[in-house]
Amino acid sequence: MKKLALLLLVVLLGLLPLFVGKYTLYMTIHIMLLSLFSLGFNLLLGYTGLLSFGQAGFFAVGAYACAKILMAAPSLLLGILGGVAVAGVISLLLGLLSIRHTRIYFSMLTLCFGMMIFSLAWKWRDMTGGDDGLVGIPRAPLEVPGLFSINMTPMENYYYVVLVFTILAVYLFYRIVHSPLGLTLQGIRDSETRAACVGISVRNYRLISFTIAGLYAGLAGALLPPLESTVTPPVAHWSHSAEPVLATLLGGIYTFAGPIVGAALFYILKDIIVRFTEYWLICLGVIVVVLVLGFRGGVVSMFYGKGGQR
Amino acid sequence: MSESKKISRRAFLKAATAAGIGGITLGFPMTELAAQQKEKATAQAKPKKKVLGVDVIKIGGQGVTSGAHADYGWQILAGSTLAIEEINAKGGVLGSKLEMKFMDEELKPAVAVKNARYLATDWGAHLLFGVDSSGSAMAVGPILPELDRVCMFVHASTHRLTEELVAGKGIKQIFRISVPVYQESILASHIFKEFPNIKRWAGIHCDYEYGYSTWALFKDTLKKYRPDVEFVSIAWAPFWTMDFSPHIAAVMAANPDAIHATPWAGEGVMLLRQALMLGVFDKIQAWFQCMGGSVDLLEGISREVEGGKFKDKLWATARYIHNYPDTPENKKFVADFRKRWNRLPNYSAETAYSTIYVFKAAVEKTRSLKTDDLIKAIEGMEIMTPGGKRLFRPEDHQAVYDVPGGKIVKDPNYPIPIIGDLKVIPAKTYYRYPPFTPIAIGK
Amino acid sequence: METLAFQGLVGLSLAMYLWLLASGLTIVFGVLGVLNFAHGSLFMLGAYFAFTFYGLWGINFWLAIALSLLAVGVVGYLMERLFLRHIYHLDHAYQLLLTFGFILIFDDAVKIVWGGVAKIPAMPSFFEGTFSVFGRLFPFYNVFIIGSGLLVAVVLWLLFEKTWWGRMVRASASDREMASAIGVNIPTLFTGVFVLGAMLAALGGALGTPVRVVAPGIGAAMIIQAFIITVIGGLGNLKGAFVGAVIVGLLSAYGILLFPVFELFLIFVTMAVVLIVRPKGLFGG
Repeated sequence: MKKLALLLLVVLLGLLPLFVGKYTLYMTIHIMLLSLFSLGFNLLLGYTGLLSFGQAGFFAVGAYACAKILMAAPSLLLGILGGVAVAGVISLLLGLLSIRHTRIYFSMLTLCFGMMIFSLAWKWRDMTGGDDGLVGIPRAPLEVPGLFSINMTPMENYYYVVLVFTILAVYLFYRIVHSPLGLTLQGIRDSETRAACVGISVRNYRLISFTIAGLYAGLAGALLPPLESTVTPPVAHWSHSAEPVLATLLGGIYTFAGPIVGAALFYILKDIIVRFTEYWLICLGVIVVVLVLGFRGGVVSMFYGKGGQR
Repeated sequence: MSESKKISRRAFLKAATAAGIGGITLGFPMTELAAQQKEKATAQAKPKKKVLGVDVIKIGGQGVTSGAHADYGWQILAGSTLAIEEINAKGGVLGSKLEMKFMDEELKPAVAVKNARYLATDWGAHLLFGVDSSGSAMAVGPILPELDRVCMFVHASTHRLTEELVAGKGIKQIFRISVPVYQESILASHIFKEFPNIKRWAGIHCDYEYGYSTWALFKDTLKKYRPDVEFVSIAWAPFWTMDFSPHIAAVMAANPDAIHATPWAGEGVMLLRQALMLGVFDKIQAWFQCMGGSVDLLEGISREVEGGKFKDKLWATARYIHNYPDTPENKKFVADFRKRWNRLPNYSAETAYSTIYVFKAAVEKTRSLKTDDLIKAIEGMEIMTPGGKRLFRPEDHQAVYDVPGGKIVKDPNYPIPIIGDLKVIPAKTYYRYPPFTPIAIGK
Repeated sequence: METLAFQGLVGLSLAMYLWLLASGLTIVFGVLGVLNFAHGSLFMLGAYFAFTFYGLWGINFWLAIALSLLAVGVVGYLMERLFLRHIYHLDHAYQLLLTFGFILIFDDAVKIVWGGVAKIPAMPSFFEGTFSVFGRLFPFYNVFIIGSGLLVAVVLWLLFEKTWWGRMVRASASDREMASAIGVNIPTLFTGVFVLGAMLAALGGALGTPVRVVAPGIGAAMIIQAFIITVIGGLGNLKGAFVGAVIVGLLSAYGILLFPVFELFLIFVTMAVVLIVRPKGLFGG
């Protein structure tokens, strides 16, 4: 039953370009990017118990790296994979500093590191183009030399690239959290001391989790520049880090699908709210407060009737 | 967090439009030049309905309407709304009414791009205009060919928009009605080359592209005319600087004769008041506040100007000044704007207002809404606007018109200070010309 | 040399706003264990109330400051009683999220009430003027700010070290159950501490109104600096917050003078170095 529903969803997404206009397609791409971004974030929060407020930093690293590669060598695959790799390295390095702390200290540190990347994007003009950002990034063809080359100029084509990457990444994520690694992380989340007692290196596992989260943020970021053809510093700002936080909270922290459902809800809700008022932030704020006070399980667990408490 | 508002201003705008039509007939015929006179006459002679095949011409606008710089977006909205009300009250353009949707760009390029996509591909805008931030302009510019729409930029001031994207890369869909950074940099050096006693300049500038390019152009030009001038110190202030005293103290340590400063909006007001606190105006001979002619800034320092605190040393310019030029068009625009909104128009109000009339003239000339036709119509267009006669240079799609600089003074005819003692320098003198050489930005 | 000394004075006045902001954040965290993300918004509210009372209604400057403290105190009281109280038992993440929600609410709320345009009221006339120091002109108002900051530091020290209430607060900060067992009314105490923290933030905001800008978002812009200060000084440590604020204030001022291009980085680099050398901050236990 569940598998059937999933298959249906994938088919629906696959046929989407036939039914909807350009703008809906564009928004769907954005929802997929936020889903990937939030999934990684939730590996830290939901599965490892660490609240990061600096994920936008890694998103930005992925985006800028991909943009730089595309501007130098126009190959879509190279750009995306390169972006992910650079984001992974940076998150590993900053992870070494951050995971020495937990709880509130960790949140503040990640926030500060994220803002450090933001200031770098802003000030390192030779590399990043400063506040004007990188302009004129090509939506390079998807090609493997000697094998194939697909033109990416129509947005539909690029939509399929993002869709494939998303499906693969979601599947991989499912495997990760159901692997021994995922179970160990949850064990650490529930009781650090108990995990340490059975000989688990808590730090190493946290570092792995942090790096995977960074990789997912980097992937979401790397998929952005070919879509927008520009990258600018606000993608690294902490208000962007708040997006996966809100999406995950909305969808549900302790469920696999929570961040994905939340990402879709986040965009849809905003679309509805802004039709009625320009003060959509206050509505979002109220939603956050209500969710934290009353529905900590998010939408997905409400659906399953599990209630909000853990 | 950072995404856009889609329909945000719709309700407001509907109300505004209704009020405009219900009220007394506003508006005046834009005095267009001979080239368009004939076109217009033929247009009006034709039967009114369905020349363009649409009931409404949809115009999508953007500006920043939230946060500390929200007044600039409001001015764009107010100016364009006034023009649309005037035009609709007179029957629209070739029988089609104008309809506008205005969105908040939040000073975020990603939001501006999303808005532009929404306006063009979902809402169905025929024409686009707007954006305050240079970053947003540089992000929206490159997607215009894909969207197949003309966009008139009304405030973003980076020279790169027209020099690199239009003249360099040939993105013909970009036009700009407002003068770019040439205004605060090159014009300023032309004014101050005439002051032999001012030899030591310091800068307090925005720590982003706007500040960098303004300071670089100012230095380059002034040095050309006055090899004896020195640039003795510089302080950079990022967005959200709330206390400029360290910047002011740092540049004053070098004993400058004059200061050239870019912080704008509320930050500009704070900078000037903190400079007063630190006694700067007792020591220097002149202070050039780049966009000091902006209405919100003039309102903010009104008391200090009245009290003579700046000792007649505060200079400024803007991209349009409500007390210049002294033409019937401008007087009428200012009077109508004050009647409609109970405030003085800022430069972004004038550029947005004039944008709508440029669109009107272009559509009436080509009698089509096709982007290629509209581009041809606006290229080389000469049009009379409240800010004076504007010419859209074909090479870079930049509007050429004169805006003077001067001293900020109190005038009994206005509720807030104005720019007086005007130094009018022809735009031809202080604009850059293609082929453009990149501005070397060394800090 | 005189230039350096003068720049230091300017940096010190910068540091005092940061100290007023960071002190409340630190006290609330130290006692309640809640990191108030919306603390910067209370700073902003203080500025808006001061602007309204003093700039808009023309109330006497000192009375306006007092009234804005009171107003933000009420906001803080309601925030603690109605919301925070219910989540003390939850994970830190939820507390951070709840207060994050309040940033969004407060930022838009001030826009609804006061509009989006930045407000800048006139300076009270008795503060105008400068005096000569190190051969330069230094504003009276900055002296007043430095004095206020130091005064707050002394008052807080006296409050926590010398009064019965302060001892109770410290007792419950180190062991909540024990304090409760010896008859400390923890819920009331927590409310009191939160209100105190809110009023400290409001004081910073209100004192800045005559010379700084009052605009939506100024709180969120300041809170990052406050976080950096507490990371440098040590989370929950009041002495650390003071030293951290002075460090950050001086770094900005000297950075602008000596390394104009890298000013912003200096602070982040300092933070990173402190973290590597002393992971819990300079005064963190």
